[in-house]
Amino acid sequence: MGKYLARRAAQLLVVSFIISVLAFLLVHLLPGDPSVTILGTNDTEANRAILFKQLGLDKPLWQQYITWVTAIFHGDLGQSYLNHLPVTQILTTGFPVDLELIVISQIIAFSVAIPLALVVARKPNQPLDTASSTAAFGLLALPPFVVAPIMVAVFAVGLGWFPATGWVPLTQSFTENLHHMILPSLAITAGSIAVYYRLFRSDLIATLQEDFITMARSKGLTNRRIMWRHAFRPSTFSLLAAAGVNIGALIAGTFVVEFLFALPGIGYSLVQAVYQRDYLVVQGISLVVAIAFVLIQFIVDFIFTVVDPRVVRE
Amino acid sequence: MTTPAETPDEITRRSFISRSAVAGGAVVLAGTAGAALAGCGSSSSSSGGSSTSGTPGVGTGQPVKGGSLTVGILAEIDGFYPPSNHWDTNGFLYANTIYDPLVAVDTKGNYAPYLCKSITPNSTNDTWTMTLRPGVKFSDGSALTAAVVVSNYNALKASLLTGQALQQVVSCTASDDMTVVYTLQGPNATFPLGLTSQLGYVVGQSMIDAVKSGKANPTPVGTGPFIYESWQPNDHFTATRNPNYWRAGLPYLDQITFKPIPDTVQRESTLKTSGIDMMISSDPGTIKRFENQSNYQMVDTRTGVIGEPTVAYIALNTEQEPTNDLSIRQALAHGLNTAVLLKIFGAGIAKAMTGIFLPDSPYYSETNYPAYDQAKARQLVNAYKARHGTPTITLTTIPDPKIIQVSQAIQQMWNEVGFDVQINPIQQADLVTDLVVGKFQAITAYQFGNVTPDLNYVWWSTTTISPIGKIGLNFPRNADPIIEESMLAGRHATDQATRVKAYQTVNERLAKDLPYLWLEQWLFSEIAQDRVQNFANPTLPDGGAQYAFDEGIFVPTQIWLAG
Repeated sequence: MGKYLARRAAQLLVVSFIISVLAFLLVHLLPGDPSVTILGTNDTEANRAILFKQLGLDKPLWQQYITWVTAIFHGDLGQSYLNHLPVTQILTTGFPVDLELIVISQIIAFSVAIPLALVVARKPNQPLDTASSTAAFGLLALPPFVVAPIMVAVFAVGLGWFPATGWVPLTQSFTENLHHMILPSLAITAGSIAVYYRLFRSDLIATLQEDFITMARSKGLTNRRIMWRHAFRPSTFSLLAAAGVNIGALIAGTFVVEFLFALPGIGYSLVQAVYQRDYLVVQGISLVVAIAFVLIQFIVDFIFTVVDPRVVRE
Repeated sequence: MTTPAETPDEITRRSFISRSAVAGGAVVLAGTAGAALAGCGSSSSSSGGSSTSGTPGVGTGQPVKGGSLTVGILAEIDGFYPPSNHWDTNGFLYANTIYDPLVAVDTKGNYAPYLCKSITPNSTNDTWTMTLRPGVKFSDGSALTAAVVVSNYNALKASLLTGQALQQVVSCTASDDMTVVYTLQGPNATFPLGLTSQLGYVVGQSMIDAVKSGKANPTPVGTGPFIYESWQPNDHFTATRNPNYWRAGLPYLDQITFKPIPDTVQRESTLKTSGIDMMISSDPGTIKRFENQSNYQMVDTRTGVIGEPTVAYIALNTEQEPTNDLSIRQALAHGLNTAVLLKIFGAGIAKAMTGIFLPDSPYYSETNYPAYDQAKARQLVNAYKARHGTPTITLTTIPDPKIIQVSQAIQQMWNEVGFDVQINPIQQADLVTDLVVGKFQAITAYQFGNVTPDLNYVWWSTTTISPIGKIGLNFPRNADPIIEESMLAGRHATDQATRVKAYQTVNERLAKDLPYLWLEQWLFSEIAQDRVQNFANPTLPDGGAQYAFDEGIFVPTQIWLAG
């Protein structure tokens, strides 16, 4: 396993290097004078000086890259030329929001999808299976920007159970934080529930038709024991792979929900930076998000080795 | 400064006419010098909503001290430093919280001292002497002095963003500790009104020094009713009561928090669920929805505008082919059916504009602005075609679905009269850049909203025209010597009759030159829970009512919360 993980770690480093080069080139691929292109009407002397200092635009490209990477290793991802906030500050304030959104939404998604698939897989093609599969299709077809306003109208404005917008830091109040995060999390959960449910259900049904399950049944093992002891683990591969990709995509990919619920996450910051051509923020956030995505895939790969040791041998 | 994917109508409105004034670079000045009456709100502004008691926005009963007010605003700002940050409605709300303007506007549209004790001209109106109020302290404990005001002026003058707006000021000097003297290039009887804008908000010397030493966005230091406490962009800005505020007994609130909630429907929902106490909107749909709702107070800009309203328009570049041809601009104007556009956009309440002034303005006059007339438009296009071939127009806008929908309606209208119209959707920041450097034929924007037309000088003057590709604040590059002459005549006039005549001439010339195709008055509203008292009824430091509400900007000093 050690060799396998070392090989994956080496791949991770190569991918991270490529990502860093691409993120670095983002600024340099802009047409014309990068400072004019980046700053636009904000091309003031002060902003230009900041930009040149940050990017070292007067040096050869390779030197600029080294300077940039060295600064990153010192925790300096540059700063917004719009509000002059360091990108690291934007990330450290926004990341907890995204992390919470992802964690809560995934807990909800797994809590709904896995038990439902376990129940349905035992008796496929029954009314419950048909109903849940139809519902899953429905959920897949409902993007967060449709779900969110409906939820707000019903649960916030109508019933008054949850606040319509806003965020309270965890450090300030745990209950208030949770209270504010439920609706946004639910809004992005719908798609995950559908995907996880359908994948896990299919894999479970397939696993339950394997010879080793028949053998277990012939030994007189209870359904519960067969399901949890023998069928569950081998059926989670697709689920794990999908969760890895899904969670990666949710980092900074929740901007619609952040926008609608006025959450100060990095997804919203990233989109705003794109719209405002705040390229250094785009560059910094893109780099961190891409590397986080790669790291998550690495963690998923590691979990695969635990769930199915054959992965290492192959 | 615009945000992505805003929903329903506000998004549309906010971005369609893509906030030239507020969004970028030097253009901001429109939103500042112009639009913003910065610290001036107005009790005389319109009240459109319903309230359980009395006039919306006017407090009843005895003021109550204490409490915390949370306000939902349109978007986030880029900082607190007047010389370099782009203040729009949201910026001025922040500014009114922690700073004070030197001058404010009363409900009749006249300037009135605020942070200054007096401001008086010499006999020829080309030198203005300002005396500061004694005993005013900044939040860092330093005193307000003439030297600090001059230091602020120097920073503003040196700024690319604000410098052009101070073009008329030759010098600003401190004649003693508390007296500042402004020397102008020529007479200007309404000069102090310019100091109601971003140019008139005074920050502490320590803040200026911090910027000079390389700190780009230092902690704000002001004399305002509240003191900066925390700012997390896109989440909140909070300020707490200034215990040493120079206006005795004020402010009433202990704390005020602004929360940017870019989606208008979500902002409304948050108000309804008491997540905020008050909200700003520039969506006519919001006005419509809150018009008859009990438990809320609403004021809006359908009436009571002093000077000129904020106006949505399509700017036509007078230096680019084919819009450099007057007959083409006339054809575009005749081919534009604003009534249809307002049906799509205006929720049945937005007003079409045919000039910069509303009918109740003293500067309003009937003009020969081209009416919707397809036959006339076709005739003009055909005449052009005979000379140059089919005129191709690129309408630059932003890629919001609803904005595109309206742009397509305009495209269809113009195609019907013989144009070949392409829509060029570009990002907001690019749009603002194109606007200021003149890289457009037709472009959507909204702007103006000044308390005095003199503040439009930078936008309409022949002196602010630059070659295409260079920053020029006269966006359409309309070089009309009569407008220049009239703007200066208005500026130099000491009597209202001359001023009225001058600005009516400007309005008429704009209708003749057609650098702008006027679309609609850009409405703002302010809606609050009933317990929020007196948000549209501020008074001036020396007594008298202050112009309290314009462009969604209010003064928080005299707001209180009913028990």
